[in-house]
Amino acid sequence: MEAIKTQLVVLGGGPGGYAAAFYAADKGLKVTLVEQDPRLGGVCLNRGCIPSKALLNATKLIGEAQESAKRGIVFAKPQIDLSTLRAWKESVLQKLGQGIAQLAQKRGVQVINARGHFESAHQLRIETPDGQGFIEFEHAIVAVGSKPALPKIFDLGNPRIMTSTQALEIEEIPQSLLIVGGGYIGMELGTVYASLGSKVVVVEALDSILAGADADLVRPVMAYAKKAFQEVRLKAKVVQMSTAGKQIRVTSQFNGEDREELYDRVLISVGRVPNAEDLGIENVPLTRDDKGFIKVDTQQRTNTPNVFAIGDIAGGVMLAHKAAKEARIAVEAITGEASSSSHVVIPAVVFTDPEVAWCGLTESEAKAKGIQVKVAKFPWGASGRALTLDRTDGLTKLIIDPETERILGVGIVGHGAGELIAEGVLAIEMGATATDLAECVHPHPTLSETLMESAEVFFGHATHTFIRKTEPK
Amino acid sequence: MDVKLPKLGEGSETGVVVSILVKVGDAVTKGQTLLELENEKSVAPIPSTASGIIQRVNVKEGDKVGVGSVLISVAVDGESNAPTPSAPSSPLASESIQRTEVSHTAPKYAQEPTPPIAVDPSHGAIINPSPAAAPSVRKIARELGIDLTQIRGTESGGRIVMADLRAHIDRLQKLAFAPKAIPGRGQSTPAESIDFAQWGIVTRKPLTTLRKVISRRMCENWTSIPHVTQFDEFDITPLLALRKEFAPAYEAKGARLTLTPLIIKALISTLKQHPIFNASIDEVLEEVVLKHYYHVGIAVDTEAGLFVPVIRDADTKSLLELSRDLETLATKARDRKISAEELKGGTFTISNQGAIGGSHFTPIVNKPEVAILGLGRGTLKPTVVEKRIEARTLLPVALSYDHRLIDGGSAARFIVDLQHNLSNLTPADLKLA
Repeated sequence: MEAIKTQLVVLGGGPGGYAAAFYAADKGLKVTLVEQDPRLGGVCLNRGCIPSKALLNATKLIGEAQESAKRGIVFAKPQIDLSTLRAWKESVLQKLGQGIAQLAQKRGVQVINARGHFESAHQLRIETPDGQGFIEFEHAIVAVGSKPALPKIFDLGNPRIMTSTQALEIEEIPQSLLIVGGGYIGMELGTVYASLGSKVVVVEALDSILAGADADLVRPVMAYAKKAFQEVRLKAKVVQMSTAGKQIRVTSQFNGEDREELYDRVLISVGRVPNAEDLGIENVPLTRDDKGFIKVDTQQRTNTPNVFAIGDIAGGVMLAHKAAKEARIAVEAITGEASSSSHVVIPAVVFTDPEVAWCGLTESEAKAKGIQVKVAKFPWGASGRALTLDRTDGLTKLIIDPETERILGVGIVGHGAGELIAEGVLAIEMGATATDLAECVHPHPTLSETLMESAEVFFGHATHTFIRKTEPK
Repeated sequence: MDVKLPKLGEGSETGVVVSILVKVGDAVTKGQTLLELENEKSVAPIPSTASGIIQRVNVKEGDKVGVGSVLISVAVDGESNAPTPSAPSSPLASESIQRTEVSHTAPKYAQEPTPPIAVDPSHGAIINPSPAAAPSVRKIARELGIDLTQIRGTESGGRIVMADLRAHIDRLQKLAFAPKAIPGRGQSTPAESIDFAQWGIVTRKPLTTLRKVISRRMCENWTSIPHVTQFDEFDITPLLALRKEFAPAYEAKGARLTLTPLIIKALISTLKQHPIFNASIDEVLEEVVLKHYYHVGIAVDTEAGLFVPVIRDADTKSLLELSRDLETLATKARDRKISAEELKGGTFTISNQGAIGGSHFTPIVNKPEVAILGLGRGTLKPTVVEKRIEARTLLPVALSYDHRLIDGGSAARFIVDLQHNLSNLTPADLKLA
């Protein structure tokens, strides 16, 4: 096979990789995209964001139907046909995957289904089903992503001990499910399985679920979990697991005592590790940090000037939209534009019930860093829209610089928080002040009003809530 | 014991080692100058923080060092001579940051980089540490190589909008096309070396670092400031009589009452009447900075060259304190024991050549100050007093000022008021408490 010559090779076809390939092609570069999975889209499309949201949305109805009874609309107990649910989910992935493949084709991006291995800073060896080949490139973008961590003590080779990848396949609805790790993946999948009827127990080593989110935003999710899950154990630790017939025997420590329990299935969601092995990284060579992520500068450039890294493999928050933004930054750096990742606001969304979303500075971060801020909160109990939705378990808060009154951070918990947070991102990126947000008319009755009203809370004159002024004027 | 680079003063975190005065094995005493460091403002001696033997010199001439860098290790008297482990002077954080931001190679299809707008690097003050601006504005700023931390936003919350960016670019362009200060070394093509030996015997020796700094500063001040020098002669006959009367009392307190502290007293009153003489021009922001403090620089002639130590808050000090300060600073300057801090922050400078002799001269304004007062030696001259000729002591006075900020009329009024304030000094002013 003759070596392929290309201006840019992108290794990895996830939301970072294909975004980079497409943008570079749109800018006129000759681009080759190498992906080992037959379907483009990476973890996000195949084993992450998309399938989990499909399942969350499908199963949400179960809980909503139950809730509906108190409003006088009563449904019969739902019948769950797992194979149809799986097929529907798969059809969503199929549609999206095909869409990406078509978009690649239309742009003239050469997509190669192969494993890639760097031979040098200008050559990538590819292993395809048809044999070995080589790609000579001027620039490379490494976007190989991450995978769920599976610590050795849990890796018994037993399929009943799952990571998110297997859990999303929903082979069965286990009677009992232990989730190790109360981060966003554990909490989201816990929500899916709890809706389907599993007895879910979450074990979290820290003193709170959803690490990184402010405590007041986590509270409604915790309230839901206490109701829908069998148990959420904080400051708890799983120390041992073993196979016990068709179950898993789990030894854990909680409240100072050891427990031994049997679970039908266990989900390990204790974080993600970079896919840095067997890539030929040492042949480029690329410098990695102590956790194995590739080190990059503010233009996503590695220590080897013509090689860039984006998305999960470059470390930081492991979110698809961060990868997509880094894709644009890297491509612009390659085409000689002055791009930079500094001061980019990356929102975070957790699709639990209710959803949690935040962006910019959080209240706890401000406290930890000693940054002077004012926090304005608007509880959803005062929102007409939240009441009509019967979802008053929400809160919108703004983190404001007391001097300039600029909005430094936005946090939302509640129904549809993931959709609402985008306005917060815009406000922070634009350097908007609380006045700007308060002055913009928001449609009534919508949940978006809570953003405007929380800005008004800051000034002490929100219409739908009353705040007694503590500082005499 | 490690001698680390102390904080040199506001906004000055780094310096270049210009000379090292000690070597390993030398015995040093506490306070003895170990090396000299140059930063944007001055050449400062770095004193030893302890007495002992020099164990290690961690820097060499020409090294750029930051605050906290270990410069020299001294085995303190009485301590063991075992070398103490010490980190080598760390490379500057700012340098390494810059390095990562520099793009390594220009790709073939990269656009031609925009030529950077020439800016005097000394105008790099951060005035907006966390600038708020829309992503589109930030993008353009990046493309033009403009640092938003140097722009003050005009919108609510200090947000920088396109108009602010444009105004900033305008300012930079004006600066770039303004007559450039000619640096005393580097950049400009060096003049050809002339072989003076062809016409006779010569001795050559390298310019000292201090001389190079003086040279650069003088060139910059002379070329960037449109100077005007206003001359006058002050009749100081009564003042000298007053001085003579009170000098013994000062002597008894261990201080020498010279003419200079008396001039400072009168000067402070005059500066308060004419605040524009106690000001600076902020060329970047196009603002006048009027200072409500009075730190008077005193030009001191030393063997090594010119030093201008600063008397802080001269307006709050008594004549006795001023006399003492003058003497201390002059001695320190001559012994090269003056700290960098003591050379900074002056608001107005006095250059008094009276002790040496001479008459009028045209002093060069000490940037960023806007005026300087040059004094010659008072001499007896036939003077008309009440229509009769009398022998009076006249003091040659020369006021150089920055005509960008100060007009001739203001300078004339300043001189008149200064003379008035000087002749208005009374025994009550000189009397010791």
